Amino acid sequence: MKETKLGEFEEVLLLLVGILEEDAYAFKIAEEFEAQSGRSASIGSVHSTLDRLKEKGFLTSEMGQPTAERGGRRKRIYTITNVGRNALQASRDFKVNLWNQYPGLAIDKLNILGL
Amino acid sequence: MRERRNIPPKIAQRLLLRFLREDYAEEVLGDLDEKFLSVCQKQSNLRAKLNYWKQVIHYVRPFAFKRSKYSKHSFMLGHYIKISWRSILRHKALSTIKIGGFAVGIAACLLIALYVGNELSYDSHYQDQDQIFRITNQWTEGGEVGRWSNLQGPLKEVIEENIPEVEQVAKTVFWSWGNAGTNLVRTESSQLNIEEGGFIYADPELLDILQVKMVYGVRSQALTAPNSLVISRSIADKYFPNVDPVGKQIILNDKTDEAYTVGGVMADFPDNSHIQPDFIMTLAERQSGPGTGGWCCTNYIFYTKIKAGADKQRVEQKLLDVRDSYVMGQLKTAGKTGLEEMELHHSYYLQPIADAYINTAEVSDDITHGSMELVWIFGAIAMVILLLACVNFINLTTAKSLQRAKEVGLRKVVGSVRSDLIGQYLSESVVFSMLAILLALIIAYVALPGFNQLANKSLIMPWFSSWFLPSLCAVGVLIGVISGIYPAFYLSKFRPVEVLKGKISAGRGTAHVRGAMVVFQFMVTIVLLIGAIVTHQQFQLIMNKSLGYDKDQVITIHGLNTLDSANKASLKQEVLNLPSVQGATVSDFRPVAGTAIHNRTYWLASARLIDDGFEAARWSVDEDYLDTYGMRLVAGKNFSGAASDQEALIINETMAGMLGLQEAVGVQVIDMFDQKYRVIGIVQDFHFETLFAEVEPLAMVYGSGKSVLSVNISSEDVANTLSSIEAVWNDFKPNQQFRYAFLNQSFQKMYESFIRAKSIFLVFAVLSIIIACLGLFALSAYMVEQRSKEVSIRKVLGASVAGIFTLLSFDFIKLVLIALLLAIPLGWFLMDVFLGDIHNRVDLSWYLFAFAGVVGVLVAMITISFETIKAALVNPAKRLRSE
Repeated sequence: MKETKLGEFEEVLLLLVGILEEDAYAFKIAEEFEAQSGRSASIGSVHSTLDRLKEKGFLTSEMGQPTAERGGRRKRIYTITNVGRNALQASRDFKVNLWNQYPGLAIDKLNILGL
Repeated sequence: MRERRNIPPKIAQRLLLRFLREDYAEEVLGDLDEKFLSVCQKQSNLRAKLNYWKQVIHYVRPFAFKRSKYSKHSFMLGHYIKISWRSILRHKALSTIKIGGFAVGIAACLLIALYVGNELSYDSHYQDQDQIFRITNQWTEGGEVGRWSNLQGPLKEVIEENIPEVEQVAKTVFWSWGNAGTNLVRTESSQLNIEEGGFIYADPELLDILQVKMVYGVRSQALTAPNSLVISRSIADKYFPNVDPVGKQIILNDKTDEAYTVGGVMADFPDNSHIQPDFIMTLAERQSGPGTGGWCCTNYIFYTKIKAGADKQRVEQKLLDVRDSYVMGQLKTAGKTGLEEMELHHSYYLQPIADAYINTAEVSDDITHGSMELVWIFGAIAMVILLLACVNFINLTTAKSLQRAKEVGLRKVVGSVRSDLIGQYLSESVVFSMLAILLALIIAYVALPGFNQLANKSLIMPWFSSWFLPSLCAVGVLIGVISGIYPAFYLSKFRPVEVLKGKISAGRGTAHVRGAMVVFQFMVTIVLLIGAIVTHQQFQLIMNKSLGYDKDQVITIHGLNTLDSANKASLKQEVLNLPSVQGATVSDFRPVAGTAIHNRTYWLASARLIDDGFEAARWSVDEDYLDTYGMRLVAGKNFSGAASDQEALIINETMAGMLGLQEAVGVQVIDMFDQKYRVIGIVQDFHFETLFAEVEPLAMVYGSGKSVLSVNISSEDVANTLSSIEAVWNDFKPNQQFRYAFLNQSFQKMYESFIRAKSIFLVFAVLSIIIACLGLFALSAYMVEQRSKEVSIRKVLGASVAGIFTLLSFDFIKLVLIALLLAIPLGWFLMDVFLGDIHNRVDLSWYLFAFAGVVGVLVAMITISFETIKAALVNPAKRLRSE
């Protein structure tokens, strides 16, 4: 049985992969993470998480084109899979559901249920 | 230039490539380059480099590591260990025997290694190790070298003046002269006399030569004042707790007018030092006794420190030169004879301090020595026991090969190669030996106190020494490999087709190897048994030897030196008045260990200047001595207590023989100080030194003793007699504890090292029997299992239980008998060498060997019979039903 739960960091990376599309490779993802969250993350830690997500089947990857600033080396571009998308969706639904029950934010619903 | 500086640090890159998976290299290096450039542009070059390092270090994560060959092996190793663990659990009894045998062997080895290490570590703690020596005499004649330690006192000044290579030299006194040895001690403020040992005399330089560490006082001045002494820290803590005792007085034997002043406190001598003094009394400026004496007498042991870089042989040569140019003349003046002989054969030998304990130079002296022979014997026995344990392992593994053969076959079928299988079996035996080491540590820890008693040591487990655990692991691997290598090659040889078809019958090929190993095991066991029996016989012989005196009825009371002579006499008289006391005498000379020693050279008065005379022990005794000790006069009469006794002499038969006369009673004898005596009696020879040598000549003169009262008691009720003597004692000396010893116990003390050897033989013989029997037991169990069907069929056809027992046992008994045949000549030879040419040697008669053989065979029979009888009694239907 593979672990199919999403950790917080994993979820964010998964989202970033989806956002960056063609540019989703380790360095860019790490940069984007830092830019958006304000937290720092080493490329190694991002890479290791991407690797894990790949093992879980949430991501696939293929080698992209070489560029000059990389010393003529290719990069590994990650793409989100259907399983990954479903996992994201499930995670979002779960949280929205919880938020809806949260007092003050979902008072109406609570009233309807007669509680 | 700017271009060049803008590249990522090479070392970091190389480091990264070292551990990073090859298939990740391209993308990761690319990513890091981009990161580097981006930091470079946003911040600085240096920042970028530092960040690059940080990124590389953050890649140290399992996912990024190389999947190398090594990791495949480590994976397989994990597998091997798992399989080993399962096979241990599957055959619990067998595994227990394998591991237990190993553990006992390793534990024995461990203890012995500690012992040997300790024996060889003596006196190796000095800073200038190579410069410290004992000066000893050497006598070379006809290819034989003899060495002894005693030298003349004035030699010290001669050496100091004439040999510039010598930095310092000190004389010492260890033998019981003056107060050396044991004394009763008290401080000024206390009235209680307490007995303490470890007194020696030494020149002040000794402290510097032996680099003694001082707790209080200055080393170079601690012994310079007359009547000063240095005490050890433990003594200082006992008598002067929590104060600096320098300058305080110590009173020996209640003699307040001869008090000693503490000049310093030294750290206790380490356990592995050949001398263990607690009190060092100075020889400086003494007027009488130790510290005095001219060229006549050799009373001192010399220690020296030569200058750094000085050549030992050159110093020895210079000593010889000094002897010829100076000492010879002095000896002549002192009336020494035999000087020509001395010039021919005598020289000096500097014994390195590290050799003083184990004494490979065989210097004769009064210090307790270790024995290199015992080290070798111990070491050899340890190796043999370990070997026995390895043999067990090999035997049991190959015997069980049928089960494993199928496993091997299957492994080969699914693609295992031979080297993998060898690896598997080797790691299995290493797992066994590692488990055994764990168990051995526990066994050794538990057995250490007993072993310490046996070897007379205070060894501790060096748990926290940096070498201990690593070397144990190394030993574990080594033993595992040694004992696993044969089974590994044997098992991995099987051909899968034959094995899986069941064509190979188990362990047929190894049967003769196993046989040879059983023979080896039992040979060793029987040899050790022979050793134990012979040493025991030798011990019995000594203990029951008629000694020429009565050792079982005499007790000795010690510590009389605090009484004046009038009190000594009345104490003796009061003790004699007790009903159960038959005789009593005050004399320091006893025929056992711890006695006073005094030797002089004697001549027939008519031959004083003609021949060299001979040396004889000189005992001062009174008229009650012979009766108290039950010694018999063969001719002449005893001392009478009259004034004429002062010139009378009682000699033993040996001395009478050396005088070379038909009728020795009445002749005149003269000693080296020109004192004349008339022989009045001849006492029957009795052993007053070790029984391992012939009786030496002995001359008894009339005199009174200082400190020991010997009492011959007739009563069976020893405890009552002792308490009544104690009551008498307490009347005389209430501030001093009553102290006594049984003469036969003092006698046994003389043979301590021999008794130790006896116990060692016994313990190790038992250990090796246990190991050998464990192996034999498992082997017989296995064989019985193999032949269970055959046994059942035989029973069905009418074989008797006895018949089956004989059938099953015969194979093993045959092996044990072969072992016996080999062991007897070997054991005889070894014991012959071990005993050497000692006096009163036990005869190596046939029944000793027969006894060892019978015990060996009997033990083997009993071991086998557990399984064979069980097999012979089993209901054949049960075995055959499953067919």
